[in-house]
Amino acid sequence: MAQVEKKAGLLRRTSSKKPLKEKVVLMYDEIFAKDNPTKTNPHFWDELFLMKVNLEYLEAKLESLDGEEVMKIQDNINSLFHHCVQALGEEHQIKVVNALQTLCALFRGVHQKNKSASGFDIINMLMGFDKAEHRMKDLMESLNTLLCGESSDSLKSLCLKLLLCLVTVTDNISQNTILEYVMINSIFEAILQILSDVSSRRQHGYDAVVLLALLVNYRKYESVNPYIVKLSILDDEPTLDGMGMVVHQALTEYNRQYKDKEEENQGGFFSTLTSMVIASFLDNSDLLMTFRTNEAILLALYEAVHLNRNFITVLAQSHPEINMATTPAIAAPTTPTTPLGTTPPSLDMMNSTELPLDPNLQTSNLLITFLKYSSIVMQDTKDEHRLNSARLCLIILTCIAEDQYADAILHDDNMNFRVNLHRMPMRHRKKAADKNMPSRPLVCAVLDLMVEFIVTHMMKDFPMDLYLRCVQIIHKLICYQKRSRIRLHYTWRELWSALINLLKFLLSNETVLLAKHNIFHLALLVINLFNMFITYGDTFLPTPSSYDELYYEIVRMHQVFDNLHCMVLRVSTNTGQWKEPASKVTHALVNIRAIINHFNPKIESYAAVNHISQLSEDQVLEVVRSNYDTLTLKLQDGLDQFERYSEQPKEAAFFKELVRSISLNVRKNVSLNTLSQDILLKEFSSIS
Amino acid sequence: MGDTELELSPAQLEEDLQKSPSVSSTSTTSSFSLPSSPSSGLHHSDSPSTGDTLLTNSPTLDIITEGVSELSLVIDPEVARKACQEVLQKVKKQKGDPENPDASSDLVNGTAHTELGDGGGTKPPKIREEEEEPLPGSVKSAQRRQKNNSSKQSWLLRLFESKLFDISMAISYLYNSKEPGVQAYIGNRLFSFRHDDVDFYLPQLLNMYIHMDEDVGDAIKPYVVHRCRQSISFSLQCAWLLGAYSSDMHISTQRHSRGTKLRKLILSDELKPASHRARRELPPPTSHGLSDHGLSPSKRTHQRSKSDATVSISLSSNLKRTASNPKVENSQDEDRSSSSDSLDLETGTPVRLTPQREFIKSLMGIGKRLATLPTKEQKTLRLISELSLLNHKLPARVWLPTAAFDHHVVRVPHTQAVVLNSKDKAPYLIYVEVLECDNFETSSVPVRIPETRIRSTRSVENLPDCGVTAEQRTGSFYAVSNYDNDDEAWSVDDIGELQVELPEIHTNSCDNISQFSVDSITSQESKEPIYIAAGDIRRRLSEQLAHTPTTFRKDPEDPSAVALKEPWQEKVHRIREGSPYGHLPNWRLLSVIVKCGDDLRQELLAFQVLKQLQTIWEQERVPLWIKPYKILVISSDSGMIEPVVNAVSIHQVKKQSQLSLLDYFLQEHGSYNTEAFLTAQRNFVQSCAGYCLICYLLQVKDRHNGNILLDSEGHIIHIDFGFILSSSPRNLGFETSAFKLTSEFVDVMGGLDGDMFNYYKMLMLQGLIAARKHMDKVVQIVEIMQQGSQLPCFHGSSTIRNLKERFHMSLTEEQLQVLVEQMVDGSMRSITTKLYDGFQYLTNGIM
Repeated sequence: MAQVEKKAGLLRRTSSKKPLKEKVVLMYDEIFAKDNPTKTNPHFWDELFLMKVNLEYLEAKLESLDGEEVMKIQDNINSLFHHCVQALGEEHQIKVVNALQTLCALFRGVHQKNKSASGFDIINMLMGFDKAEHRMKDLMESLNTLLCGESSDSLKSLCLKLLLCLVTVTDNISQNTILEYVMINSIFEAILQILSDVSSRRQHGYDAVVLLALLVNYRKYESVNPYIVKLSILDDEPTLDGMGMVVHQALTEYNRQYKDKEEENQGGFFSTLTSMVIASFLDNSDLLMTFRTNEAILLALYEAVHLNRNFITVLAQSHPEINMATTPAIAAPTTPTTPLGTTPPSLDMMNSTELPLDPNLQTSNLLITFLKYSSIVMQDTKDEHRLNSARLCLIILTCIAEDQYADAILHDDNMNFRVNLHRMPMRHRKKAADKNMPSRPLVCAVLDLMVEFIVTHMMKDFPMDLYLRCVQIIHKLICYQKRSRIRLHYTWRELWSALINLLKFLLSNETVLLAKHNIFHLALLVINLFNMFITYGDTFLPTPSSYDELYYEIVRMHQVFDNLHCMVLRVSTNTGQWKEPASKVTHALVNIRAIINHFNPKIESYAAVNHISQLSEDQVLEVVRSNYDTLTLKLQDGLDQFERYSEQPKEAAFFKELVRSISLNVRKNVSLNTLSQDILLKEFSSIS
Repeated sequence: MGDTELELSPAQLEEDLQKSPSVSSTSTTSSFSLPSSPSSGLHHSDSPSTGDTLLTNSPTLDIITEGVSELSLVIDPEVARKACQEVLQKVKKQKGDPENPDASSDLVNGTAHTELGDGGGTKPPKIREEEEEPLPGSVKSAQRRQKNNSSKQSWLLRLFESKLFDISMAISYLYNSKEPGVQAYIGNRLFSFRHDDVDFYLPQLLNMYIHMDEDVGDAIKPYVVHRCRQSISFSLQCAWLLGAYSSDMHISTQRHSRGTKLRKLILSDELKPASHRARRELPPPTSHGLSDHGLSPSKRTHQRSKSDATVSISLSSNLKRTASNPKVENSQDEDRSSSSDSLDLETGTPVRLTPQREFIKSLMGIGKRLATLPTKEQKTLRLISELSLLNHKLPARVWLPTAAFDHHVVRVPHTQAVVLNSKDKAPYLIYVEVLECDNFETSSVPVRIPETRIRSTRSVENLPDCGVTAEQRTGSFYAVSNYDNDDEAWSVDDIGELQVELPEIHTNSCDNISQFSVDSITSQESKEPIYIAAGDIRRRLSEQLAHTPTTFRKDPEDPSAVALKEPWQEKVHRIREGSPYGHLPNWRLLSVIVKCGDDLRQELLAFQVLKQLQTIWEQERVPLWIKPYKILVISSDSGMIEPVVNAVSIHQVKKQSQLSLLDYFLQEHGSYNTEAFLTAQRNFVQSCAGYCLICYLLQVKDRHNGNILLDSEGHIIHIDFGFILSSSPRNLGFETSAFKLTSEFVDVMGGLDGDMFNYYKMLMLQGLIAARKHMDKVVQIVEIMQQGSQLPCFHGSSTIRNLKERFHMSLTEEQLQVLVEQMVDGSMRSITTKLYDGFQYLTNGIM
């Protein structure tokens, strides 16, 4: 066989200069003729799969067909498809490889041609209606066997490429009717097996995770998608871990690239001391533009977190930080379990105890990596793509913040980490001065990230949606703390001043923002956060003095609240669409106004009595402390209630668009990969 | 038999034995060799622990074959037969009607001693006895008695056969006697003692085996080999101790190889029960699976096998209709694993000891790697992550050797582990969840339960981890109808939560339909508004914080303080709540300190001495309180320590509370004259007196406050016996006083003139008198361990002499009283104690 292949290669090389056609091309032509090719050559199909596939030609040929021609050669195409599927069962790997590639070309060619055609036409054209079910079943079974079996890595990778290719042939995944057969003949188990096995995960984990993420999104809202069901009840730890590892590695890789790039830029940054600030600004946005975020992986993470409750444990599964180019080498042995069925039971459990950990590596986990990633992504949300990534990050964080177990992990006092979030370089603050910050529970990092976002995105093109999510995440975390009586040692003051600044921004840009957004909703959420602190502070604030500081902060910034009150009062007295939302804010402001009205006169009189024009912080705090008892607050209901996240119907459109963009992206990359399969073929020809 | 003879020290008896002219008499000799026969042990049915005797005795039958095979070159078969017949005759004479040995074998259910049942039906038991009799020891004694018979020996023999002859005496004679016959006799007599009793002296036995002459070794070996066959944990214990105590020897020495050889023999796992017996040990597969709360069908794989995993999956699929790997659902797997089970038994790969050895090895590996990290914080993080990986390999047939009951380790709650304070090593404390079982060798290994399994239950109950107790929750239900009370009005939110959270349970995983809109709640505003005072909120906040003063602040430089301060019961409760195995009734929490790079042999010695003194004081009814904590020596530079629960070091107490010791007592237990305080004070005094004596007798040094713990009941507990007997730290000449008694301690006792202080001195006197009475038992432990040892505590030649002198045998009780007064005075006035504390504060920051 090898010789045949080599001969073919030699032939091709010599013939490429002349207008002579490759043999495979001639054979393709035969298929596209109306006659049955086996008439002239009974071994036609056998021979075809021994030839190196010419993808471009085949695809172009399929594309060029018009409707009538298709009808005429439909039998031949059906036959080609049928023989491709049959060839997958062949012992000879060359045939299998060629068949897989031919299938790829078939799927793609047919779709490119029939952009307008319905899914049923395509199925008919490829397989024929009557046989479609049978053919697809055979195909999926063969792929299953190949993926789960002992076949070579390149072959498995090709199988996954074919599947990715099949899944992404249409822009809108839900319009890809062929996938209906993939739903019936599930390859979920094969994907799981790839993820649970250390070596196969290293090779194919990424493709498998992306494939899974896409399959889960097929007709997500219309029908029962078996992949959703299966993913949501998956509880096999090694598999879930494997999935986590793949995501972890992908995100780590992104973080690392970003960091490298940033350091590169900083070299120049120091050499040109003059244009320091401007340079850093420009560099930063350049930097962000240079590589795209990995939405497919992020989507996979979202689906796992959203659908599978067991996945939450994986978030906190510790892994040593995966570093530099050694990624696979380090990551692989640390994978915690020997997957089921790979090692003989007598050897398994305790043998791999000697963990090859480098003492210099910092321990990390998926959650930390994700937070770092988010901090990078959220820095710049100007273009649509990044905005979507940031939104998805915040959605994932929302899901995490709603999960009891995840909250328990976030707040675990015994799991302290130092999370270096990326902060946008800004004029008014020094960059990354906090090298020696203490390690704290992970929730502090989440809160830091939220504060960071709030502070850095007050711009004309206001990302209202992200702000809402951000404030809601904070709210959910505080609700958990209140409910669990967790007193987090966090510098709440930073959060308070960030929120007050946000209110200030909303007020000063009222007219601009009101044209596009319902700013009262955001304002209400922010005020309710304050109300949480005011009324329930005793359940979760770390110290009595932090409660004093809250009052201090409110009194100090009373101007903002006063203005807000004036504004909402004004709007709510007018009739109009904002009347009701504004009046809600008025109600919510009751306690804050009570505090301001209570303490301001006290402070003034204190100043007057002591003849001090400007009171120090301590003095104000003293006044606050001694005047609590005369202040009455109103208990507001539902402060610790929140709307639980639900994908449908609110987010459906977003995810539809996201999946579409991912599909396009994947399709582009897959096609590139499949075309450069020469190496692969060479590998096989030398093996066999 | 008079008491006086029993009181004779072994050495004296030995002297008599040597001096006396040897007069041969057959009757005595035969009776001498008699107890070496295992059946004689059986017939000593008047001994108080009949059941135990039977248990320990009958398995000797196994060892006999072992002995024959190993010593066949030495033993003259003729002599052996003769000896056997003599023994048998003696047996007949003593017991007219032999007991039915089958009945006894029934009693020995623990070891499943099946071969008795095997041929028992046809073969008369006596014949079997005869065949299996030629014990090496008895043969030797038979050989030698010709030379060495004396009338005195019969006295000795009567002592040996008396009820009062205990393991301590046995060890003592084994050590002191130069007479091979006596040694061989005692070697056999070991079989008749309770396992626990002998286990206490295992370090002594093994040290003698390694470092003393061949006769002693030969006398001990059969017993050790026999016990190794019986028990995995005994095997490992022996192997570790043999390794540790051989380490001081010169490599080339002959004796060295004896200990090492035995160690190799044990570790090669040749000393496993014969294969046919092992198979019979297997309980019927169904018996466990049903009764043991979802444990896997019993298997004899020593690791969590694949089939275990399948079981777990099939279990979970029952619950959740899992879409799992098709492979694991394949029945083929089960077949494969069960075939490997039987393979395991037949080929006898050394898998018996492997899981546990690997477990210990990985714990030590973690310690080694931690030591390379620079900061405590990094160490803690690394520890947590390493343990979380270790968790993936559990449950397995592994256990903590420091525990008192049989169990399997199922999970290490990794986030609870802490790195302990140490300058350059990295000792760490882990908590270990175990499931108690009947026998860790035969009981089936529990099935792995995924970490997240707990979550389903948690979300149903919703609040268990929120620190809201049941009463609070029921209280919140009343609050619905009663809004008058402010406090109860506060719990409205809890009800809201219940309402919100409950629908979630039914619709989890997929998108929730039931949303709780903010608007629907705010629309309730029509009802009467509730007012609250800001002052109340502020007050509640400070009150709630004031209510928990006993928890220590989190300090990244001292992570263990917080973990150790938490009351043990609370910790157990908390960890149980968070554990997927917590619902099992046989769930237990254990803790252990893993020490890597430290020699724990001295600690083990100190433990033995403390334990011995504790027994003595208990026996003499002196209410001294000490807490010997278990030590596991794994090698000469690693081991494990059983942590003292509910105790923190005085250093941590002072640093965290910033109070004097007395004030801390008042804060923790209540003011003077409250019952709690008085109890705590009495505990303090009793423990203080106990440890003062210990410190004096053992010359425990390095007594800074970091090495003295204070438990929640007021006891002090000394830890770290790194400097005892002849060794002291850096020889700076500090700590010259008899023991550490600071004025702070005296303050807690109620001052110099207080009754409690007098009580303290009285206790010391009583304790010293009691200890003096049993000095031999204490000295013996130390003396034997000195053999061949390079440990610093044995430095110099006068260690034992000095130790004996500290018991002041020659003084009258009045003189002892004066001595105690002097020691207390001296220690109190000791400038060096204060200096040493100051020195520690300056160099190590220990308060």
